[in-house]
Amino acid sequence: MATQDSEWIFVDTVDALDEEDFMRFDHGGETYILYKVKGEMFATDGLCTHEAQHLEDGVLIGHIIECPLHQGRFDIRSGKCAGGPVCEHLNTYRVKIEGDKLFIEL
Amino acid sequence: MSPSSLPQAKILPATTAASSNVSLERQLVRNLAQRSDRPALLWLASWLTALAVSGYLLYLTTATSSTLLFLAAALLLGSILTVPSYAISHECAHGTAFRTRWLNETCLWIGSLLYFEEPYHRRYSHTRHHTYTWHVGKDSQMPFDTPMTLKGWLLEISGIALVIYETKVFARNALGKFSPQTRGFTPENTLGKLKWGARACILIYATLIILLVRGETWVWTYLLLPRLLGGPVMLLFTLLQHVELKENSPSILESTRSFTTSAIGRWLYMNMNNHIEHHLYPQVPFYALDKLRQAVENQVPPPDKGFWRTNLEVLSVVVRRSLGMGTKARGLRQAAHMVVSAAEAKKGKTSPFAHKTTL
Repeated sequence: MATQDSEWIFVDTVDALDEEDFMRFDHGGETYILYKVKGEMFATDGLCTHEAQHLEDGVLIGHIIECPLHQGRFDIRSGKCAGGPVCEHLNTYRVKIEGDKLFIEL
Repeated sequence: MSPSSLPQAKILPATTAASSNVSLERQLVRNLAQRSDRPALLWLASWLTALAVSGYLLYLTTATSSTLLFLAAALLLGSILTVPSYAISHECAHGTAFRTRWLNETCLWIGSLLYFEEPYHRRYSHTRHHTYTWHVGKDSQMPFDTPMTLKGWLLEISGIALVIYETKVFARNALGKFSPQTRGFTPENTLGKLKWGARACILIYATLIILLVRGETWVWTYLLLPRLLGGPVMLLFTLLQHVELKENSPSILESTRSFTTSAIGRWLYMNMNNHIEHHLYPQVPFYALDKLRQAVENQVPPPDKGFWRTNLEVLSVVVRRSLGMGTKARGLRQAAHMVVSAAEAKKGKTSPFAHKTTL
């Protein structure tokens, strides 16, 4: 979540993500996922809140990201759990595009 | 920052493709893992049709005086009822059968009730089975002693072990007295779902028993008897998943078995004979497992040959083990420590138990 101390961190160029695509981004000892769905960009924590499996190998179903290990589901717009076995929400982050560059607010 | 420099404490050493040194292109796995309702709806329609046809055959035998024909028809209905109930329950516990969530959850309940396990317990205990596949003390789904003996085989295949274990789980969970194991794999704020799920299941089972006691014989003829007779067929399928393989290995290739079977077997079992492939990439739904098998076949052991042949090999091994004979199988893939040569057996050598169940 953005705080007063948050800053915009450069991730990649916008063409790194195709439509209905997602990518991993590591920064400051933490790991995140950026998504592009229906032209909109989203970002969440990278690790599933259930057993810390990385979501980069998961399945994107509309606005739902599904964990590859136990198939726990989260809505990438809100980070909220969308199906067991997960029961803790993911943190979400703001994303912006400047020119052809993609930034995440951390 | 490279992944290896991330805080490792956050990443559990789950038994996956990565821990098994198997890799596929990420985009290929994502493509294989895509979801659709259509394949599972078609499978569901074929299952319901097969149930109706085999149920009608059983009905026809009730008009004859042949007990043998009646039992054969009950076994047929039971196999068609029970193997798929396990398979759909398993697939829906993963949430991979259907793209639409409520279809998954509905079929999870129906399949689990027929299989005889509370649906939420089924889902959560299975998560731990994937996290620590065949790890003694960690895997929550190791239902028999390893190495297996004839006594263990009989308890497992008869369904007695399953009924005793799950009855205890139903009772404990319905009372809210969860075992340490259940607490270990269930998030604290989800235990209530297990409690009320167990109570709902007990209510449904009790209703069936009351109906039976009040003279509704269809409950016995078309449900309980077929379920009892079909149980061993289902358990012969599930037995092959890990029996005679290595405990406590990070590699799925050492702990898990795939086997070949007929088109009917693959349909009954929803392609879960590709069990190594399923454990490597559990996000891939049942209808894409054949494609996944083709994609990884040069990285995994060849499947054991045939459902019946593999089961006969297992039975032969457990009988010989119980008789103090050599346990090397001809075609069955076995972990090294499962094998005692005939010469070693004559000298009294046995494989020590790696895992003991408590019934």
